[in-house]
Amino acid sequence: MNTSLIKHLCTLLLRTNGELSTISKRCYQSHRIRNQTLDKHRTSPLNKQKTEDAKNDSKPVTNKDPEVPTRFLQKNPEFLPNPDWGYRDQIAEMVERNDMYRRRRNIFMPEFYVGSILAVTLADKFALGKTSRFLGLCIYRGDQGLHHKIILRNVIDNEGVEMMYELYSPLIQKIEVIKLERRLDDELFYLRDCPLEYSYFPQDMESQNIFKDMPVTTNTIKVKLNPRPWSQRWERVDLQGVEPFTGWKSEKQRLKLKRLANQPQVKKEWEKMDLMKHYRESIPPEESMRIYGEVVKDAKDWKNREERET
Amino acid sequence: MLKFSVKRRPRKLKGVWTGCGSGPSERIKYLRHWVGKLIRDERIEGREDRMNETRGYAEQLISLAIQNGENHRPTMEMATKWFKEKEMTYKLFKVLVPRYENYQTSFTRIQRLPIEYPGNPYYNVVLELKGNPYPSIFPEQRDKAGLLNNILIEAAKKDFYNEHRQSQVVRDSMERDIVGLERDTLQVRMDKSGSGKVENVKTGSTDGTDVDKL
Repeated sequence: MNTSLIKHLCTLLLRTNGELSTISKRCYQSHRIRNQTLDKHRTSPLNKQKTEDAKNDSKPVTNKDPEVPTRFLQKNPEFLPNPDWGYRDQIAEMVERNDMYRRRRNIFMPEFYVGSILAVTLADKFALGKTSRFLGLCIYRGDQGLHHKIILRNVIDNEGVEMMYELYSPLIQKIEVIKLERRLDDELFYLRDCPLEYSYFPQDMESQNIFKDMPVTTNTIKVKLNPRPWSQRWERVDLQGVEPFTGWKSEKQRLKLKRLANQPQVKKEWEKMDLMKHYRESIPPEESMRIYGEVVKDAKDWKNREERET
Repeated sequence: MLKFSVKRRPRKLKGVWTGCGSGPSERIKYLRHWVGKLIRDERIEGREDRMNETRGYAEQLISLAIQNGENHRPTMEMATKWFKEKEMTYKLFKVLVPRYENYQTSFTRIQRLPIEYPGNPYYNVVLELKGNPYPSIFPEQRDKAGLLNNILIEAAKKDFYNEHRQSQVVRDSMERDIVGLERDTLQVRMDKSGSGKVENVKTGSTDGTDVDKL
């Protein structure tokens, strides 16, 4: 590609970025106008409101869920807002979603999960050919909105390397899925404490034949942990994709750690029952369905397939 | 979705039962007790902060039961964990779910109770499920139009009004007879000198009556 052409494209993207909503994580501002008060003023006083009980006597509410294509919610988890009410702003979310739709029309974002092998090509002005490609195992997928990010892990020169990519960054040229599969866990950070064989994938790995709506298999591999110390207390976390650890220093150590892990303040048995905690940490289904109804409508204009380079 | 305002952070409920421990585990035990009581009695009283917390949990339970139904295993397990008595899970799925299925508002109502001086440093509150069989907290205003006093007063009002209107009609008709004209045909025309004269709009003739002298 021409350097001048790349420059031109980058400047174009940067200009459009000026319109992009640069929404960073805001702190909770108590002096801000709340959405509840805004909504009160938006509704017209001309609409006579029925009394509370009369509302319930009217016809039953039929919640028609919008028709959502297969696995759409799992393929695109980034459209739901942050469940913390201090960060919620309906107008900002709407604007952010519009920017996400615009990005989606220009780049094809394939379906993948934590445990799939991806290759991401970035625009890099200091690299040969002005692009840099990194292939790795996806160990994390998170954050909402334009901050949606993934972490890819691989081994380069006998050194474990993790690269974090924000999927809606305009620097990303291409996202390829080399192997589409799932793992037994949602986050694979324990690979940092495993032998490097479990994280190594050759950079020139050939991609699997991936077609639309193909069934996604679960890789039931059980990984072995290195001897302690670890980066996190894996003995306290219920990991499915890890073999039970046997490299304890002594039986005394094992029993002590087990006792500490079974303390009530560590186990937190009450959190399983805590309905309000679950409510505060999730988006209610009515709202998520409403949001996805809008997203699905716009998804018809998105780039569905990679354009083959002629 | 809960259809009433909920705080951003949960309340700690300090000193739930004096002498019985504190912390998140005790808090959940306390709330379990009161949620069960609410489902059983359908109307309970207590401290405002405690009742506000129980309200959230009770409504979440009911809304989950409505969404998923009793055949959904996780909701059934959740309900059995929350209620000490087995009958309450039965009541939740068989009685409360059909009652609240088509509700567009919240399922509970909360109301502050009056303070009896000197009283406590916190508000006492009534928390009730809507559609309960008890008489409502706010007494319904009876229709008093049927009382004899009110009937007589209404009749007297009507009579007075009719009389007043009749007299006005008579006055109008008398005016017409005297003047021999309809209303709105007379007009006051101001002279250059400043005095006004009553003028007939249609014919243009004046009566000679001076407005100043009227």
